[in-house]
Amino acid sequence: MSEKSDIKVLLIDDEQTLLEYLSKRLLREEFTVKVTFSGEEAIEVATNDNFDVAVVDLKMPGIDGVETQKRLHEIQPFLQCIVLTGHGSIETALESGQEDAFQYLLKPIDYEILVKTIKDAYEKKLESQNVRFREHVEEIYRSGLGAKGIRKAINKLRKIYGID
Amino acid sequence: MESIDSLKDELKQVSQELSSHKIELHQTRGYLQSILQNSRDMIFATEVSGLLISFSKGGEKVLGYTWGSVAGNFIKDFTSDPLEFERLMAASQEEGSAVRLELPFRHKDGHTVYCDVSLISLTNTKGQNIGTIGVCRDVTRWKKLQEDLIRVDRLAEIGRIASGIAHEINNPLAVISEISGWAGAVVSDAKGLTHEDREELETAVKRIKEQTRRCKGITHQLLGFVRDSTPDKTKIDVHELLKETIKFLKPELRYLPIEIIFNFSKEPLSIKSDPNMMEQVFLNLITNAIYAIREEGRNDGKVEIRTKKTDSGVEVSIEDNGIGISEENQAKIFDLFFTTKPPGKGTGLGLPICQNIIKNLGGSLSFKSESGVGSIFTVRIPFS
Repeated sequence: MSEKSDIKVLLIDDEQTLLEYLSKRLLREEFTVKVTFSGEEAIEVATNDNFDVAVVDLKMPGIDGVETQKRLHEIQPFLQCIVLTGHGSIETALESGQEDAFQYLLKPIDYEILVKTIKDAYEKKLESQNVRFREHVEEIYRSGLGAKGIRKAINKLRKIYGID
Repeated sequence: MESIDSLKDELKQVSQELSSHKIELHQTRGYLQSILQNSRDMIFATEVSGLLISFSKGGEKVLGYTWGSVAGNFIKDFTSDPLEFERLMAASQEEGSAVRLELPFRHKDGHTVYCDVSLISLTNTKGQNIGTIGVCRDVTRWKKLQEDLIRVDRLAEIGRIASGIAHEINNPLAVISEISGWAGAVVSDAKGLTHEDREELETAVKRIKEQTRRCKGITHQLLGFVRDSTPDKTKIDVHELLKETIKFLKPELRYLPIEIIFNFSKEPLSIKSDPNMMEQVFLNLITNAIYAIREEGRNDGKVEIRTKKTDSGVEVSIEDNGIGISEENQAKIFDLFFTTKPPGKGTGLGLPICQNIIKNLGGSLSFKSESGVGSIFTVRIPFS
């Protein structure tokens, strides 16, 4: 179901060298990767492009990981966020981050685990997106529109959800 | 006749005065005696040269010697620093009195007793020096308490600094880990490498990965030490937990001539505590025991795990017949970063972390050890 090249990953971390190499590795495994070095930059990028999974560092100058995650969710509600935290800050992250991150990972991250988590997050995204899509479709059918209206509405939905 | 009468009167008056002085003297002596008998301070008197001529009951307790055995000796010979004591004595003769805090004395057993000493010079009616009175308060326990407090404080400070460093090191560590991962990927994609070169490079990348993992282990352990996580208490069967813990070590034990002996109390021991924390402690202590046996090179190694129910909780002791801990090292085993293991084998974090955890759980961790004989570590955990 998940061809990796279909998975669009947004990386957000102020540690530039880390992202340089992490992105190379992910690209080699045929993920589609976009690198950003701050929450602000990530939000700007996310207003123009759709992503499936974001990997966000919790501690960044400017807006931090929790806030970044929150704003990304506002722009792209189905985007799954993987939050990277330092040791001992998981609890604080969980308390402040009611923004239901897909998963918190401890830094330094284990690459294999990260790859697996990205894939899992992608599955979750598809699933929740599909559920919501179906709900919308049902709503449209129930709404008593004519056949033409229904087709139009569904096409609009497809566009919103990025489903061809 | 008149003169005889007046003499008689005078005599009567003198004898009355004398008897009242006698009473006063008696009272004063009783007063002094009861001080000398009952004070916990060491109170002594010497003649000019410093020879003891009186030594209180408190002194017998402080130094462990009876008055009989110190009589006629120089008091300075009971101090660890006779020169300093002589200086103090000279000062008291000059000034009338002198005070010195925490002067070390030697107890009969050999240990050091610290006393706050004040010396008062005795003079006769002509103002000549005839001796010295000394009042010494034993402050050894107080001093030790102060030192403990300072040590605990320093430990906490080291912990704070170390956690800061660990956090900072984690970031470059993550970068190194990614770069080595990338290098590995490049090597595996590369064409035209000789078989040897490829193997060399693959091994190098693997080694970097192992070493970064090792660093990661250290930083995580350190951060775990500093973090005061609240215990997550549930009902635990102590015997079950110990057996589970041993299971972790099965692969290691399979090839070692070490026998694990369970000597459990007949009744089941159930407490409310944090199972993960307790498991970490037991795992650490048993691993240490195994290491000690391997160091000793025994082929009849034994680790005995005993459990006991006490009034307030449970007691688990782990005894080994390994190399033991030298007396010198016994004072240091709970110090952060103290280790006798070669570089790469020990971090010096295990026992301080164990102690921290047990303290966190409201219990205590103690040990006894003899070089070449073995060690026994005892964990006491309250019922809840």
